[in-house]
Amino acid sequence: MVAFFRGKLAFTLKVILLSIISALLILLALSAFGQKQYVIGIFIILVVFGANFTYLTKVSIPLKFFYPGLIFLLGFVVAPIVFTLTMSTYNYKTGNYIGKTEAITQIQKLAIEPDASGSTFDIIVGKYNGSESAILASDTVKKQYFIATYKERFDLNAADLKLNQYQVATQAPNFTALADSELAGADKLLSTSRFFYTSEYFVALEGFDVGALYRQKLNFLSERDAFQNISTGAIYEDNGKGNYANLDLPTEILEPGWRAPIWFENYSKLFLDPKVREPLIRVFIWTIVFAVSSVLTSFAFGLLLALALNKPIRGRRIYRSILILPYAMPSVMSILIWGGMFNTEFGAINQLLGTNIAWFQSVTFARVAVIVVNLWLGFPYFYLVSSGALQAIPSELNEAAAIDGATPRQIFSKITLPLLLRILSPLLIASFAFNFNNFNLIYLLTGGGPKSTLDGDIAGATDILISYTYQIAFGSFTQDLGLASAISVVIFLLVASISLYGIRKSKVLESFV
Amino acid sequence: MKWLRENLWRHVVGIFMVLFAIFPLYLVVISSINPSGSLQVTSFIPRELSWKNYQMLFNDPTIPYLTWMKNSLVISVTVAFLSVVISASSAFAFSRLKFKGKKSGIQLLLLIQMFPAILALSAVYVIMERVAVFAPHFGLGTQPGLLLVYLGGAMGVNIWLLKGFVDSIPAELDEAAKIDGASAMQTYWLIFVPLAAPVLAVVSLLSFIGTFNEFILARLFLVDMGSRTIAVGLQGFIGGQYSQNWGPFAAGSLIASVPIVAIFLSLQKYIISGLTAGSVKG
Amino acid sequence: MRNRKSLKALAVSLALAVSFGVSLTPVHAASTEILVWADENRGPNLSKVIAAKGDWVAGYKVVIRTFSSFDALKAAVDAATDLTGPDIIIGANDWVPTGAKSGKLAPITLTAAVKAQFNASQFFDLSYKGKLYGIPLDINNVAMIYNTKLVTTKPTSFGDMVTYYKANKVAKGLKAGLCVAGGGMSWGAHGVFSALGADAYLMKKDGTVNYGQSFNPSVFGNNVKTYLLDSNKKSNGFFPATDTGCKDNFLAGTVPFAVIGNWEWADYVAKGFTMNLMPVPGATAGTYGKMFGSVNGALLTSYAAKHGSEAAAKSLLVNLFASTAGQVAYQTYEKRPPAEKGAQSSSVISDAQKGFGSSASLAGIPQIGAFLNNNKGGASYWDSAPAYWTAVLVDGKDAVKEARKLAAIWKTNVISGQADL
Repeated sequence: MVAFFRGKLAFTLKVILLSIISALLILLALSAFGQKQYVIGIFIILVVFGANFTYLTKVSIPLKFFYPGLIFLLGFVVAPIVFTLTMSTYNYKTGNYIGKTEAITQIQKLAIEPDASGSTFDIIVGKYNGSESAILASDTVKKQYFIATYKERFDLNAADLKLNQYQVATQAPNFTALADSELAGADKLLSTSRFFYTSEYFVALEGFDVGALYRQKLNFLSERDAFQNISTGAIYEDNGKGNYANLDLPTEILEPGWRAPIWFENYSKLFLDPKVREPLIRVFIWTIVFAVSSVLTSFAFGLLLALALNKPIRGRRIYRSILILPYAMPSVMSILIWGGMFNTEFGAINQLLGTNIAWFQSVTFARVAVIVVNLWLGFPYFYLVSSGALQAIPSELNEAAAIDGATPRQIFSKITLPLLLRILSPLLIASFAFNFNNFNLIYLLTGGGPKSTLDGDIAGATDILISYTYQIAFGSFTQDLGLASAISVVIFLLVASISLYGIRKSKVLESFV
Repeated sequence: MKWLRENLWRHVVGIFMVLFAIFPLYLVVISSINPSGSLQVTSFIPRELSWKNYQMLFNDPTIPYLTWMKNSLVISVTVAFLSVVISASSAFAFSRLKFKGKKSGIQLLLLIQMFPAILALSAVYVIMERVAVFAPHFGLGTQPGLLLVYLGGAMGVNIWLLKGFVDSIPAELDEAAKIDGASAMQTYWLIFVPLAAPVLAVVSLLSFIGTFNEFILARLFLVDMGSRTIAVGLQGFIGGQYSQNWGPFAAGSLIASVPIVAIFLSLQKYIISGLTAGSVKG
Repeated sequence: MRNRKSLKALAVSLALAVSFGVSLTPVHAASTEILVWADENRGPNLSKVIAAKGDWVAGYKVVIRTFSSFDALKAAVDAATDLTGPDIIIGANDWVPTGAKSGKLAPITLTAAVKAQFNASQFFDLSYKGKLYGIPLDINNVAMIYNTKLVTTKPTSFGDMVTYYKANKVAKGLKAGLCVAGGGMSWGAHGVFSALGADAYLMKKDGTVNYGQSFNPSVFGNNVKTYLLDSNKKSNGFFPATDTGCKDNFLAGTVPFAVIGNWEWADYVAKGFTMNLMPVPGATAGTYGKMFGSVNGALLTSYAAKHGSEAAAKSLLVNLFASTAGQVAYQTYEKRPPAEKGAQSSSVISDAQKGFGSSASLAGIPQIGAFLNNNKGGASYWDSAPAYWTAVLVDGKDAVKEARKLAAIWKTNVISGQADL
């Protein structure tokens, strides 16, 4: 067996496998380059080189074990984190969403206004004299007909034309209509085309058979990177924050803007703008309280159960089978069901207790409800791990202590519990980290509420950092991805430093790490 | 009397917690046979009994329930298997090999888990949208694309969990192998993997459940009716703009949870020992 | 020795890989598809329309992509870019201001003939800064229904309903008097706000917005005290602060009055209720609480131009979504009230739908997203309205004081929202 892993055959197999994987990845990278996705293409190429380098040389043996996992971590965990970091330095919010070139195109497109009567024409797209792009336009009310190219307009008499039953011209001299199949290919060109009407007005397409009369309101001065209002002469320049703003009136900006780097403005807002800072501090405190109490209650109940069922009492198997059901049920489902149960008027909880508590409208009750539901979701896990850990504690220890005259309570608090804590601390920390970012629970149960909106609250009472950030980033009417990213980064720094300090100080993980 | 003193409290705790655990589940069962499709409890004993909601799941051509189920199972099983295959080797390296930066590596892994990843939603979307442009079969809107994202997301947790498990396997065995002249790779494949098979199975079960439950990414990725997972499909019943169909939702969730509950119950002994193995050092 | 072998293998494998890779380069065809994104209800119905008749735009194939829920559609719309984004989105009128401001939506100009087929206020719903971004598709509105098995005479004032509730609460086991079953505690509940004297904005006789004035908080607050609170300043149970369970209770006969949405009337008819629809009666007899009506639209995206299908998408908007034939074909499956006038008079529209229409014309108010979505006052209408009910009916805060806060928020929103009109 060992020999096999060392033999030539194994080496050949390894090379063949590597080659196939490399070939597939390079194929991917090439098509990425073909579609101008350079960053991803380069990433894939680097992955290929890295893989060959790692597995064909002996530079680092641990790397051979880490490599596949590392790639996935880099691609789908670290890359999004880097993306978030980058976003946090951008003005990236509703109104500043697209790239600058797109924004310029959009502004130009929006900066047209129809003529006073909002004239529209029935049109047919085709060629003039066989080559020049043109439209055959009919105004059936005014009985006006013309052919327009990019540069000229030729007025026509109805008598020279072939009209259909709606009085729309379908054929004209020197004009050949495009076939349907040709239209599809010409769409990109047609939708940006402007057909000559007068020196001021032009006809643009509103679909393949309608054109409307417009004139341009703003001109783009590309050498100055600015827009000019044609009638007033006002200049709109890049204000460095992702908008073209009026030079004389900086609050007047052109829409849409683009996402522009503003460096640390999102961060300074976090600390200087009380409207952002104060809710954040409150939410942070509640997040800690929520995560800690969720872990502690789940652990306490789980441990209590584990202790109770640590003896082969009658019905233990049945207890156990039912007790792990909350853990095995799809949590999305159970959270939503709990949401219904806490309803004030009709929910099962109030019916059971005979009360009339408005659970999700009151700050305290909503917080209690959130923790109760999380306890329900979490205690089976801690029951399972605690009972496993209890079984793993050598029974000689307890017996020895009992012989020494220790009471069961003393045994528990002096021997069992410390041992358990030591054993389970990595799981407790992992559970804290999980609950710290337990988005599903808050999002599906309370949506972060209640919120005293009338008193100016922006964050809800049960909002944890991640649900609050989600609101900021993906809320219904205003979305600020830049600010949300900055919050994420700051939260991360805080949590990371607290955890690192905790790990070093308490040495809980010393043996583990 | 002695029996009472020693065991009564155990039953009291057990029964109390069993009631707590089962109460919401009981309501789900009731709603699933309630023809009105609401979650409101008019009484704790069902007055009407109807299989309407169940029939809807299997007979309505616009609700490809079985396809959703199949999709969920395929995706979850694949993620469960691949993520453990990939993360096990990393966990082994963290646990057994000596190298520079090992400690910081583990800490970094823990910290990455604490990054509020909700904004990754837009990042992942953008990345996979780009992938979709050049590799339509792996990008946004495809199951393989979602699979890749899940694998990436599962990596950190799984390595972290598995490392704990690996620590619990006595080191003497692989040290013996080392003396025999086996390389790290050989130790891994020939000694460690067979030994760790039970814990690998438990971690893959946990990944399976996590993937089975996930809906926030899945609802963005799997748009086509036939490619949705069960969580996305079910969430659609109650995430409507105007109406919520609790009845089919409850029925669908009950059926969906059957496989997981079954696995849990049949393997419970195994799971318990596996779950704790990670934290208990030999 | 071994190292050199490795390097050789590396070279071989890379050469293999490159040659294999080069031999296959993907080919992309020009786009002749129009991609439409829709929610879980409208998507399948649109697909049926397209399956029956596919040639709405000659030379193009219409592809409908259905999302699993309205939320999922919204999330995807937020995240999408022009790489895979749609040409047309079937979405709520709310989405227009944000989408247009961010440059995700593109404007369209319609001919006079097409415009004449719609009500001008529906275009207003889908416009931002004077430009139209889509075609009105279906109308959403609410009306109050009363249970004739319980209430024999049609209420003429808000007080009538409260009197009935108090008199029959115990005898008939009522769980509430009036509740909101459709549209939630902000949009659906505007009729109740307005009936008691709090309108989101006031309109002048000529149909323009009265910017100078907002509702009178002490009149509204005192009405709330009179009708909704008991002598201990606690809720008298007539009007619940949330909408959960309202529909079920109305159907079960434990709530006599409910505000319901026009998209769910069939559920009520199926349970044997007749469509006794009316606006919420006001505090003074003969007046009514004004209700919002909104449209869902087929919205044009700016991605269409990038995909090279903008002219086609515009054609589809006109040929399918803005035509009588298209809206009738669609509403045959979707069964909501169509926005297009020709389709409105078609036989697919039920009497119940007409009942909603008539109560809307009796007491309707245009839904102006620029004001309602604005949050310069501290919170948008959508967030502040439910907060009022919670503060007064649940937390027991003073009805008048809270009403003053509400009035201040709404006034600021309306004034600063003018800029987005």
